[in-house]
Amino acid sequence: MATERTAHVTWNGSLLEGKGTIDRVGSEAFGPLDVSWPARADEESGGLTSPEELLAAAHAACFSMALAHGLAQAGTPADELRTTATVTFVPGTGITKIVLAVRGEIPGADEAAFRAAAEGAKENCPVSKALAGVHEILLDTRSSIRSE
Amino acid sequence: MPRIVREAEIVWEGSVARGSGVVTALSSGAFELATTLASRIADPEGKTSPEELLAAAHASCFATSLGSELARAGTPPERLEIRCRITMDEVEGVGHRIVSSAISASGSVPGADEAAFAQAAEAADAGCPFSALIKASATVTVDANLGGHDGD
Repeated sequence: MATERTAHVTWNGSLLEGKGTIDRVGSEAFGPLDVSWPARADEESGGLTSPEELLAAAHAACFSMALAHGLAQAGTPADELRTTATVTFVPGTGITKIVLAVRGEIPGADEAAFRAAAEGAKENCPVSKALAGVHEILLDTRSSIRSE
Repeated sequence: MPRIVREAEIVWEGSVARGSGVVTALSSGAFELATTLASRIADPEGKTSPEELLAAAHASCFATSLGSELARAGTPPERLEIRCRITMDEVEGVGHRIVSSAISASGSVPGADEAAFAQAAEAADAGCPFSALIKASATVTVDANLGGHDGD
């Protein structure tokens, strides 16, 4: 069954001086959220989100769901997964790199099993598949099992 | 060119089917959002999903690209309205895949006619990095119509 998700954006004015707003999304979970070119392209976000930050959120969420599923299927369900996605954008070139860093609390899984499940999630989650054109998608699972 | 880095985090607790996650914008602090498997594949019930976040990313990227193309053509927009609809489907033999991203663009652009607007939208699609990425694995369609969206 197909799933559709929508977002609505308004842009006012020029690229450099204007600004946009993600007015609403289909779920009504967020919006309005402002975006601007300076906030997107400067080193500092100035508190505004950007397409790259939204992509980081999409990828981190997709990867984590796939990993939770994979670990459960392997018989070692996770208590908690904490994933950070870092997206690198080079204007004129595009999105060049995404780093997924994941830490997990997984009773019964060792580092190797966790690493294998994380590799599988990185390869197969739908957002990863949609981002096949990104040159580098890296995975960091170091210190993945928290030892109390 | 400078490298621009943006980060987001999710903390997921519990199983896929019954657990839930909270997605946070680390770079900007602009959002902190709940998500669940049900909100992703069934009724969202006010919660976001990876596909919705991707729709917001593609729409906002396309908006900056189209604004830039129109300005370059000498007809900067007063206002653009961009809608993006991402479709995920279960593809036989491979599981869930994002199969399409459909952009609809309308706006108020003094000096531009329908043909010029459509041309700028085509150039924006070619220049937007999100369009380029998604095209590598799925279909991207652009419907540009100054008068407004069809069937909104």
